[in-house]
Amino acid sequence: MATLKLVSLFGRISLNLVVAVGGIITALPFLWMLSSSFKTTGEIFRFPPSLIPDTIALDNYAQLFTGYPFAAWYGNSLNIALLVTVSVLFFCSLAGFGFAKFRFAGKRSLFLVLLGSTMIPFQIILIPLFIFVSRLGWTNNHISLVVPFMAPAIGIFLMRQFITSIPNELIEAARVDGASDFRIYWQLIIPLVVPGLATLAIITFLGTWNNFLWPLTVLRREDILTLPVGMALMLTGVQAGSEPPFGPAMAASVLVSFPIIVVFVFVQRYYIAGLTVGAVKS
Amino acid sequence: MVSDTPAIPKAGRGTVRSVFRRRQNTPYLFISPFYILFVTFFFGPTLFALFLSFQRWNSVGDPEFMGLGNYERLLTDRIFLQALENTLIYSAASLLIVCPLALLLALALNSKLLWFKTFWRSVYFAPVVTSTVAISLTFLTLYNREFGLLNALLAAVGLEPVDWLGNRDTVKIAIIGVIVWRWTGLTSIYFLAGLQTIPQDLYEAASIDGANVWDRFWNVTIPQLRPVMLFVSVIVTIGSLQIFDEPQVLTGGGPANASISIVQYLHSRGIGDLRYGYASAIGTVLFVLIFILSLVQLGIFRSRDEEA
Repeated sequence: MATLKLVSLFGRISLNLVVAVGGIITALPFLWMLSSSFKTTGEIFRFPPSLIPDTIALDNYAQLFTGYPFAAWYGNSLNIALLVTVSVLFFCSLAGFGFAKFRFAGKRSLFLVLLGSTMIPFQIILIPLFIFVSRLGWTNNHISLVVPFMAPAIGIFLMRQFITSIPNELIEAARVDGASDFRIYWQLIIPLVVPGLATLAIITFLGTWNNFLWPLTVLRREDILTLPVGMALMLTGVQAGSEPPFGPAMAASVLVSFPIIVVFVFVQRYYIAGLTVGAVKS
Repeated sequence: MVSDTPAIPKAGRGTVRSVFRRRQNTPYLFISPFYILFVTFFFGPTLFALFLSFQRWNSVGDPEFMGLGNYERLLTDRIFLQALENTLIYSAASLLIVCPLALLLALALNSKLLWFKTFWRSVYFAPVVTSTVAISLTFLTLYNREFGLLNALLAAVGLEPVDWLGNRDTVKIAIIGVIVWRWTGLTSIYFLAGLQTIPQDLYEAASIDGANVWDRFWNVTIPQLRPVMLFVSVIVTIGSLQIFDEPQVLTGGGPANASISIVQYLHSRGIGDLRYGYASAIGTVLFVLIFILSLVQLGIFRSRDEEA
């Protein structure tokens, strides 16, 4: 019995050790990012590097706001992500309500179209969508980052899952009281699916905030770029021969990722619930 | 109209008509935004991409029909073949490294024996929510030949510094490193969700039958996780075939296209060179590739199910 306990204790310690080592490897790039953002240019180019900076220099952060339109990029990203999120919440919950609680001709086929649409990878329409958006005069305009993405199928699917579980009797009762369908949606359904909306909001905000390919394709003017595009430009847009601004790029990376990570720690379970809706159900 | 109730209400004629009209229109109104946006911005462009892939069109003048010309050119386009090869290597690495690692991580994070569970979960999930551009910029400095942390670690154990991103042989390893670092946490979320749906009494029954930890893993956990494993392998394959951000920021596809991905090549041909027809053919090939690989995986899992 005593040896068995010893063996299981040994197993427990090794498990924790392995998880800790993996965790440190996972955390290391974040620590490196944070530490590099506080280093002076001289210290960044020193070898061997150290993980703890000599001093907490804020030069990189200052340079970010004086040398680049960083505040504008931040504002652009925030605006676009919020706009897309609010639209997605509205349109997806409305359509989710339509699919969950109404009966209508062609519902099955329409739902199949909805599911099938998730099969189209965005990359295949990159070129034609770019051509279309150019014809509309929407390049260099944030509208091209918002309008096409206001009602994604996956969000409708998610909201339908949540709304289906609301008892029909509640809706019947509201209808008997003379409430219109939209009023039922707004005053009855919405308050009951707040967890679902939270999940959808987090997924949408993150996806939009971190999106790179599409904004890179449609935005050219420097002051209207989103954060990822602007940040990539900081290093890739450097003329040959001059030293790339690694310090400011690390400061930008900190400002784009750390607020998100801090918020994420508190809302993790909603995000995970959203990701796994498809995995477990299928 | 609640789905469980009959479609025609038992009221007077006038009310029937007004209720009828309302019931006919509202669901369509509610779901219409999706279909309007889908047809305008996704389905229409998909058909247009297919059409374009048979045309020669460089944004000026009219498209000119050239049959399968674009596809034939792709077969002999060395950069495209290189991009295809690179992308398949990224995919294979994701499947063979990320998936098993993610399963192990999920088992560890689900274990009752783990201390500080919530803390470690947050740590492993942090890369998932971080901007790929921020991550790539960070790895760009980590991998740097002169002052990168990785070479400092090599130097500490007496090894020569490596030009990770500037060398044809190491650049793909470097990019796979970023993929593994970023995707393992995400993938483990799916496995974790799957693990939590396995009924506890299955394990108890197995224990009563004298099964040890290893038996229970192979005979309970793995079979129970099969649907999740299929889902994960499809998601990981599709995601890795679409890789763009990491090689774009880390290397721009270089050196000499050694790390370029299909989407990167599509982007540079279509948006950089404005060769819309050719780029659309690349997109179509990517779509077909994703479709075929998803079907293959579905087939593999289905045939195993039939054997069992």
